[in-house]
Amino acid sequence: MLELMSRVRLKMANEIVSAKDLGIAGCHTCGLAVNMQNHDHVECPRCGSGVHYRKPDSINRAWAFLIAAFIMYIPANTQPMMRTTSLGSESADTIMSGVIYFLSHGDWHLALVIFAASVMLPLLKIIAIAYILISIQRGSTQRKQEKTNLYRIAEILGKWSMLDIFVVGLMVMLVQLGRLTTIDPGPACIAFALVVILTMFAEEALDPKLIWDQTE
Amino acid sequence: MCHECDALQRVPAVEPGHDAECVRCGLRLFRNPKGSIDKPLALIIASMILFLIANIYPIMTLTIAGVKLTGTITDTAWVFVQQGSPEIAAIVWLPSVLFPGLTIAGLFYVLFSIRFQMNWPHTRTILAWITHLLPWGMMDVFLLGILVALVKLVALADVLLGTGFYAFLILIFLYAATIASLEPHTLWESLNVRADEQGAFENG
Repeated sequence: MLELMSRVRLKMANEIVSAKDLGIAGCHTCGLAVNMQNHDHVECPRCGSGVHYRKPDSINRAWAFLIAAFIMYIPANTQPMMRTTSLGSESADTIMSGVIYFLSHGDWHLALVIFAASVMLPLLKIIAIAYILISIQRGSTQRKQEKTNLYRIAEILGKWSMLDIFVVGLMVMLVQLGRLTTIDPGPACIAFALVVILTMFAEEALDPKLIWDQTE
Repeated sequence: MCHECDALQRVPAVEPGHDAECVRCGLRLFRNPKGSIDKPLALIIASMILFLIANIYPIMTLTIAGVKLTGTITDTAWVFVQQGSPEIAAIVWLPSVLFPGLTIAGLFYVLFSIRFQMNWPHTRTILAWITHLLPWGMMDVFLLGILVALVKLVALADVLLGTGFYAFLILIFLYAATIASLEPHTLWESLNVRADEQGAFENG
C-alpha cells in the first residue's frame, strides 16, 4: 500500500496517469477507488457492485444496442403514433404529420420542440455514440475532450425523446373519456420507447475511459 | 480518480459552494454543497408530500360539450391497460411515476438514516440502486408532455389545469433542487464503514 502511494506521487510529478496503470479501478456505482491486487474483477467493498478496470465488452455491447436502436428508429418515424376516430372518420398521425399540424396552425415553437425531441435528438444521439465507438476502434488520439463532452451531452438529452409518447398517452387518456372521439396509440409508440431505451443502454455500455486510453 | 477518463489525481479540500474538476477532462469530480445534509433532507420530505398530491389529484379537467373529464397521471397509463396494451402503459407509468417515486422514497430512507445516525439496514444497496435508477426518472419530460397535450387540446375543448398539475410543477423544481444539493461522494463516505478494512483507498 505504501509502495503504491509513493509510485502515485512519483508519476504525478511529471504527467497525468490513469488509475488503471497503477492497479486501481473506480467502482462504476459508488466511485470508490479499489485496489485490484492483480484481479480483473472484484466486488466493491462499499456498495457490492462488480468493479472492473473498464466496463466489460464495452464496444461490442454498445454497438449491439446502437444498431438495434437504429433499426427501431425507422418504424418510430414512419408508423403512426396515434389513430384518431371521430364520428366514423379515421386518421393516423405520424411524428412528422404532428409537426406539420403545428406548423400549419402557426405554432412553430411547438413544432420545433417536437421535431427536435422526436426526430433530431435520437438520430443525433445514435450518430454521436457511433462516432465515439468508431474513433475508439480506430485508435484515434485526436479531440478526446470533444468526444467526452459529446458523450455527456448525449447522456443528458436522450430522455427528452420520450416526449411524444407522453403526449400521446395524455391525449388518449383525456379524449378517451369523451365518447365521440377515440384515440388509439399506434405501433410507433413502442418503437419510439425502444429507441430511447436502447440508446440509453448503448450509452451506459460505452465506457468513456476508453476514449482516454488511446495514447500516441 | 476521475470516473470518466480514469485520470488519477489528488483532489484538494474544496470550500463550501465550490467545485473540483478533473485536470484532464474537466468533469466535476467533487462538489461541496453549502449547508449540511439537512437541506437535501428537507427538500426530499417536501418532494414526497408534493409527489403524493401530484399523483392523487387530477392534472387537468376537460369540458367537451358539457361533459366534464378529469384524469390523474396514473390514469394516463391505466387507460392503456384497459385498451389491452399494457406495454405502452408500462412505458408511460414507469418513468413518470414508479421510478421517480422509488428514487424519492429511497433517498429519504438513506438521508434520514445518515442524518439521525439510525444505521438502518441496506442503505448502501439502496443508494446503489438509486444511482442506477436516476436516469430513468422522466418527470420533467412528462411535464413538457402535459404542456404540449394542453396546446393540442385547447383547440378541442375547454381545459382547466388541476391541483395535480400545480403540485407536479412545483415537484419538478423541488426534485431538481434536491438532486443539485446532493453530493454522492459525501453520501457514500457517510456510509463508508468497512471500506478501509478491506484495503480500499479513500476517494479522489
